Amino acid sequence: MHMGEIILDVRDQRTSFATARGMLAAVDGVSFTLQRGRTLGVVGESGSGKSVLSRSIMRLLPGNAVVPGGSRVILNGRDLTRLSEAELRRLRGPEMAIVFQDPMTSLNPVLSIGRQIMEVLMFHLGMKKRAARARAIELLTAVGLPQPDVRVDQYPHQLSGGMRQRVAIAIAIACEPDLLIADEPTTALDVTVQAEILDLLQRMVRERNMAMILITHDMGVVAGRCDDVAVMYAGRIVEQAPVRDLFRNTRMPYTAALLASIPKVTDPPHRKLDAIDGRPPDLINPPPGCPFAPRCKLADADCDQGKPMLEGPAGHLFACIRPLGQETAA
Amino acid sequence: MRYLLYRLRRLAIVLGVVTFITFLLVNVLPGDVAYEMAGMDSTEEEVQEIREELGLNRPVLIRYVEWVGGVFTGDWGTSYINKENVWDAVTDRFPVSFELMLLAQILALSMAIPAGMASAFRPNGRADRIIGALAFASVSMPSFMTAILLIFVFALGLGWLPATGYEPLSTGLWANLKPMILPALSLALVEWTILMRTLRVEMISVLQENYIALARAKGMSNLRILWVHALRPSSFSMITLLGLQVARLLGGTIIIEQIFGIPGIGRLLIHAVYTRDFIVIQGCVTFFALAFVTANFLVDVAYAWLDPRVRTGGSHG
Amino acid sequence: MADVTSSRQGTQTEDKPQIDMNMVAIAMHRRSRRLGLYFWIPMIWLVIVAVACIFAPFWGLPPADEIDWVYIQSPPVEGHPLGTDNLGRDLLSRIVWGGRVSLTVGFAAPFIGVGLGLILGLIAGYYRGWADEVIGILIDAWLAIPGLVVLLLFSVVFGGSLFMVCVSLGLLFIPTAARITRAATLNYAGREFVLAAKAMGASDFRIMRKEIFPNIIWPLIAFILIDIPIAIVIEGALSFLGLSVKAPTPSWGGIIAEGREVLSTYPHIAMYPTLVMFVTVLSFNLVGDAIRRRLADVREGAI
Ligand SMILES: Nc1ncnc2c1ncn2[C@@H]1O[C@H](COP(=O)(O)OP(=O)(O)OP(=O)(O)O)[C@@H](O)[C@H]1O
Ligand SMILES: [Mg+2]
Repeated sequence: MHMGEIILDVRDQRTSFATARGMLAAVDGVSFTLQRGRTLGVVGESGSGKSVLSRSIMRLLPGNAVVPGGSRVILNGRDLTRLSEAELRRLRGPEMAIVFQDPMTSLNPVLSIGRQIMEVLMFHLGMKKRAARARAIELLTAVGLPQPDVRVDQYPHQLSGGMRQRVAIAIAIACEPDLLIADEPTTALDVTVQAEILDLLQRMVRERNMAMILITHDMGVVAGRCDDVAVMYAGRIVEQAPVRDLFRNTRMPYTAALLASIPKVTDPPHRKLDAIDGRPPDLINPPPGCPFAPRCKLADADCDQGKPMLEGPAGHLFACIRPLGQETAA
Repeated sequence: MRYLLYRLRRLAIVLGVVTFITFLLVNVLPGDVAYEMAGMDSTEEEVQEIREELGLNRPVLIRYVEWVGGVFTGDWGTSYINKENVWDAVTDRFPVSFELMLLAQILALSMAIPAGMASAFRPNGRADRIIGALAFASVSMPSFMTAILLIFVFALGLGWLPATGYEPLSTGLWANLKPMILPALSLALVEWTILMRTLRVEMISVLQENYIALARAKGMSNLRILWVHALRPSSFSMITLLGLQVARLLGGTIIIEQIFGIPGIGRLLIHAVYTRDFIVIQGCVTFFALAFVTANFLVDVAYAWLDPRVRTGGSHG
Repeated sequence: MADVTSSRQGTQTEDKPQIDMNMVAIAMHRRSRRLGLYFWIPMIWLVIVAVACIFAPFWGLPPADEIDWVYIQSPPVEGHPLGTDNLGRDLLSRIVWGGRVSLTVGFAAPFIGVGLGLILGLIAGYYRGWADEVIGILIDAWLAIPGLVVLLLFSVVFGGSLFMVCVSLGLLFIPTAARITRAATLNYAGREFVLAAKAMGASDFRIMRKEIFPNIIWPLIAFILIDIPIAIVIEGALSFLGLSVKAPTPSWGGIIAEGREVLSTYPHIAMYPTLVMFVTVLSFNLVGDAIRRRLADVREGAI
């Protein structure tokens, strides 16, 4: 296992939203580090705070978001929480970039895709129009868009979903960022296209030696493509480990439930992924103990006494006082 | 294309109905033009004679058909009062009104767009509330009131701009614009609020779109996001409104031309109304309706410019 | 409401003072649902104006057309609190009597227009087909003529009685009222409760009255609230042109038009009625807005 330089260091990130019912703790004390060249998979059910975490890292939060003073996001040694909006703007693009979930809505419908790529190049790299256009075509070629010199002048509605996501990736890698966040980049796409896009992302990360956070709620996606996995539940990381370790030696019951929900080849198509019983906790009035306890088959009275810490031996962390695999060990 | 044809047919019918209703209305005028022409102390016979002469005794429908026939051959009739050719009278004065309306719309837009953006950027923020209050005051002030206040302050008080008058473009651009500023401003100060509110609502929802979030993630500045990324997708309702507003604006110019002594089509109409010169009224209303229809056709064209989906026929490549 | 459009990167709090963030969050979101000063101050003004106008004959004001030969174009003096106009008529009295015209038109016209628009919209939306098409064309035609031109024509054709001013102004509100009604009717005409009523053999009229009307009345009331100040403004414009009620009946627009002639020498003649009219229209707008929001809240079930 080779150790690269640390690109991203998130320490105790907490993000809450002021809502009409009270403070909603969407991200509740998340810490992790990420090294160059590595991919971290972030998995979790809908609403577990994955997108809010990614936007917290980018510092792109809506006005009703509240982040306490103790949270730190350190990118390439710079503490983003201390930077002004103008300074952050200069980092978005050249140092960190994001690919959103839905390529149908994440490109501007009234601007040609060429312009949407060129403006990043012109703003951050100071390129002239002509050079930017040439570079845009190169980027489109790199992401495997057919006929890039024609497509560059077309508008998003003239492209299919998969092609649009390729454009979004071209925009994200335009300034060679160190950190690429892909927030469920394939959820909205056809199954056949999904693998292509994931392969493309993987290739880009490898070729450009970036670090990537790949957000998904599909354990299957994580398996082949990530180095490490962080499992999120109710705004916290509840288990974190290298991929193989996590799959082989699952400790957190929630992770086990997620793994059980991976669709099998034998499943009928379009089967709904509702494998885990019960609903996620209310983030405004969270339960006092382990947030998964109400849905957990292994939970007992102790689980309702305080939130378990994320800890564990040898790089395999989990937040559970009744972990799986305990019985055999004991 | 089918839709466009449907629209065109509908427009033609609308124009027909407009002109026919107007024709009916002006032909039931109690004091018709014959009395006016015959003078105060004329006998019933004299009035009858004039009616005969003008053909006013024949059935309305026949006269309408004749008039429509005339319109298509470019003969809009002759004023009963001063024998002026109606088409000439209307087309002489229309450019003046057109300039006034154009200036007013430009002024209104140049107020509405920045104000709408500032409001939409932070809904319920301070800028939004101040602009909202200004808009409230503005709509509560009809253009004739605004005109009087503007005259009072800028013409009579400060003496910067003339209170009345009109100079043709041939006397120079500034000489032409100078007396147009206050009238255009009087109209614009009412119109901007509606444009602003429409833009604000649409922009608030556009700013929630994913592509705006992506533009932020690309490191674009707020100003660039507003002007380059958000403005065009937010302008559709506002553009539609610009077309519909033409009717209001035409109405507004009638009063404003009267106040500022501008020899436009509004003055022509008012004068015709006062003298019951119905063929001129008929011509003006027809022209208004035509202008309205044309403006709304231009709106469709503007859509195509704004939205590549319309322009490229929505085809998937 | 959540200020989601701003790019502020949330609030980075320094976690020293132990304030209850939950309370702060709730407070941030509690929109005041009570009617505030922006409702009550204009409301009080409107009540004053209404009382002054309705009971105009009992205030001991000099008749609105009585000429005081001593004071002509006078600034405020004893006996004429707002001064006199070009002809020496008491300005306050003229403003009060003019207000009667404005308020009458302001209330009557929207009701007439919305009433007629309601009927047309119901027919178009309920029966569809050719009735819908014909009404649609009529409305389009109506919209293609500038409102003021319609009024000019009517004022010339039917003369300047208060009744005709109300009717012709009311006509202007038909298109929008009809469109709102039509859209709402289309929406409700296909619903189960209407189909059920039909199945039970209720007559069309009964269905419209009992099933559809109660559902579309709220948007129309909101629409009337918007229209009152608009009607007052248009009446003002019309009387400014001398095409509303016949002289010597005073009306706000008319007084302003008279004052315009002597704007440079006696600005007060135009300014007082302008001020009164502005404040009144503004008040109607503010009150209408507050009521509409409250109606919306009530209908959303917030109260
Ligand atoms: N602007 C906001 N205001 C209030 N609450 C918000 C806001 N944005 C997100 N949330 C809440 O934060 C929680 C986490 O949302 P998030 O979008 O991060 O979930 P997710 O893990 O990305 O889910 P998904 O898989 O559906 O994308 C949710 O409960 C959501 O309702
Ligand atoms: Mg998400």
